[in-house]
Amino acid sequence: MSAVRWLIKCGAAAAIVLIACGLATVRFGSGLQVPATTTRDGTLNALSRYLREPVPNVVLVGSSITFRLKEEYFTTRGLRNLALGGGSPVTGLEIVANQPRLPAAILVEANVLARPPDAALVERYSRGATELLFFRPVRAAVAAYEQRLRPPLTHEQVALDLRRLVGQPPSDFDNRIYVDRAQQQFNAEDPTYVAQLNAKRIEELIRIVEQRGARVFLFELPYAEPIEGSRSAAATREIIHAAFPEPNRWLSIEVNRSELRWADGVHLDERSAVIVAGAMERALASARTVK
Amino acid sequence: MTFTSWQFGVFAATVFAAYYLPALRSFQVQLLVVASLFFYGYGQPELLALLAVAVFGTYLFLVLALRNRKAWLPVGIAFNLALLAFFKYKLLFIDPASPSLVDFAPLDFLLKLPLPIGISFFVFHNISLLVDLTRQKAAPPTLAGVFLYIIFFPQLVSGPITRAEMFMPQIKPKYFADIPFVEAAKWILAGFFFKLYVANNLNEMTSYMSFPLYETLQTQDRWLLVFLYSYQIYADFFGYSAIAIGLGLLFGYRLPINFNLPYISTSFSEFWTRWHISLSTWLRTYLYVPLGGNRHGLWRTYLNLMIVMGLGGLWHGAGLSYLLWGLLHGLLLVLERPLLARLASIDFAVFRKARMTVVFLCVSMLWIFFKLPNFDHAVGYLAGMFTPTMNPNPTKLFYSLALLYSLPVMIQHLGFRPFEGRLRWAEPYLYGSMAALMYLEAGPETSFIYFQF
Repeated sequence: MSAVRWLIKCGAAAAIVLIACGLATVRFGSGLQVPATTTRDGTLNALSRYLREPVPNVVLVGSSITFRLKEEYFTTRGLRNLALGGGSPVTGLEIVANQPRLPAAILVEANVLARPPDAALVERYSRGATELLFFRPVRAAVAAYEQRLRPPLTHEQVALDLRRLVGQPPSDFDNRIYVDRAQQQFNAEDPTYVAQLNAKRIEELIRIVEQRGARVFLFELPYAEPIEGSRSAAATREIIHAAFPEPNRWLSIEVNRSELRWADGVHLDERSAVIVAGAMERALASARTVK
Repeated sequence: MTFTSWQFGVFAATVFAAYYLPALRSFQVQLLVVASLFFYGYGQPELLALLAVAVFGTYLFLVLALRNRKAWLPVGIAFNLALLAFFKYKLLFIDPASPSLVDFAPLDFLLKLPLPIGISFFVFHNISLLVDLTRQKAAPPTLAGVFLYIIFFPQLVSGPITRAEMFMPQIKPKYFADIPFVEAAKWILAGFFFKLYVANNLNEMTSYMSFPLYETLQTQDRWLLVFLYSYQIYADFFGYSAIAIGLGLLFGYRLPINFNLPYISTSFSEFWTRWHISLSTWLRTYLYVPLGGNRHGLWRTYLNLMIVMGLGGLWHGAGLSYLLWGLLHGLLLVLERPLLARLASIDFAVFRKARMTVVFLCVSMLWIFFKLPNFDHAVGYLAGMFTPTMNPNPTKLFYSLALLYSLPVMIQHLGFRPFEGRLRWAEPYLYGSMAALMYLEAGPETSFIYFQF
């Protein structure tokens, strides 16, 4: 076979596969949720889904701390968690604010403000069209397989399991080594500069979205005791409370702290996340009655 | 400029188009030298001067050694090893982030220079040039020829480490009609496919091997990730080498094959004839044999193996992990050496498969020291493979994706060769599909693992 013929056949095969995947995307969309191999993948899935589906009633934005509060833990229908593992709450808030329609309530985590917003992610998810040009055949096949194995759960489907989980005693996992490490990290970093910028941006965004009819509440998720007292946590708290001193702006999450556990002092374990999700819903219901 | 960037595509296409213009035929070597300097300087222009010092210095010592090998060859080798030692191992003793390291400004500037990309590779080229050409007592090559051998852009950053006696005779006018287009296309497509589809996607998963993320893994997933990293590092480095070989062919140069299905090796000595072949050949030719090889008795052979593998480990990086990786490979070579003849005499399939499994298992476990150059982290990871995890929120890995991304490495190693027989007609279609798949399913961009060496 001559080299030219070989190369033409090779190019034609590549073109046929690409055209087939392009046509498949036009026909079916790239809506099949691609499985997340990393936390970032999970984030992108959540954001793509947010843009694709009808505007929800309540949206959570935050960092990996809020990421642990799974949507099925909440009884509220139409609640979406757009928290970004390793990201800033401002990124999620910017993306939500840039959409043509807004949810009724936006809950903004105020724990982690030391990270700047992800401009590339904001840009990507603010343009509207996030559909891929081409279908990704391997990932789509795995997504279909995974969804068949583990379809997305609703609160009703897991309510019994969640009640059973909360009914169990708190975990006795020894997390001291992880708490010590996290404490060192939290004491080493000074979030002041970025947190001040973020607080200012949150103020601006809140003004914009509230003018458009949405309500915004801030919330702080509990840390393990040594982390609460760390330099970074204390400085962040001081900055955000100075920016938003009105109590009505805050969801007051009332839980029995002795019931809570953290795998690493920072992120709630599953049982604790369920308890906190319940407390947040109660706080939200009460806050929404206040005008 | 990395092979997987669009800038490189434009660069390679431009150089290729100019290279075969009849008007430029007399300047092909010079054109490749200029292109290679541009390629190298694109990322680190401040280090072009170092590259020039290395090449001019080597050329000077080559000319001198051709007159008096005994006196000048050791000086030329020492010059190159000093360059390598200074830039690669200075970090063992200094912190480049310090505001001022020494009072002498020029030395302070040198100490703060980053590790030059590819220094380990071009220093080995330089030594090969000095040794091979002075051994042959050949006439001194042209300066442009020396430049081309050392900095030829497909092999400059991560090899294959080409021996001077193999490369220098290839420097002659090249003609478009002589290009083996199909062979070059196959190497380049296979290389990009292994890098973009296999290595970059597996990297997403093996990123969980980093500290402290690995603490969130379940014990069985720690094992899985070790094997996935084994596939990843192979796909990454095989991919680079394949692209380099393909590009070399487009410019009329045949670079040595660097990998030959290393994970089917039935012994550790066989593994080193299949993995990074150009490095192991270099180490054998220029280090193991001069040390005495196996010519001075059993214990001296063992010592030589340990020295060569230890230095081979340190060649990859200045760190305890790399040294230990090399020494452990040396130890495995020493331990198996007395048993090799007896093992070879047991010739049935199941036993061969068992030996392959043992070699693959050991080699994969030792990659942990590559993935985690911090020795404490590597030991922590290893320990975690043998203790149950208590983490209440373990990381979830998708085994189906892991399998699909590893599959090309597995299929390649299984020796599946349908295109050598009746299915030969389907070969271009397979390569075309691979090209489409590597575009559609490319993992997030990551640099080649061997760039850091």
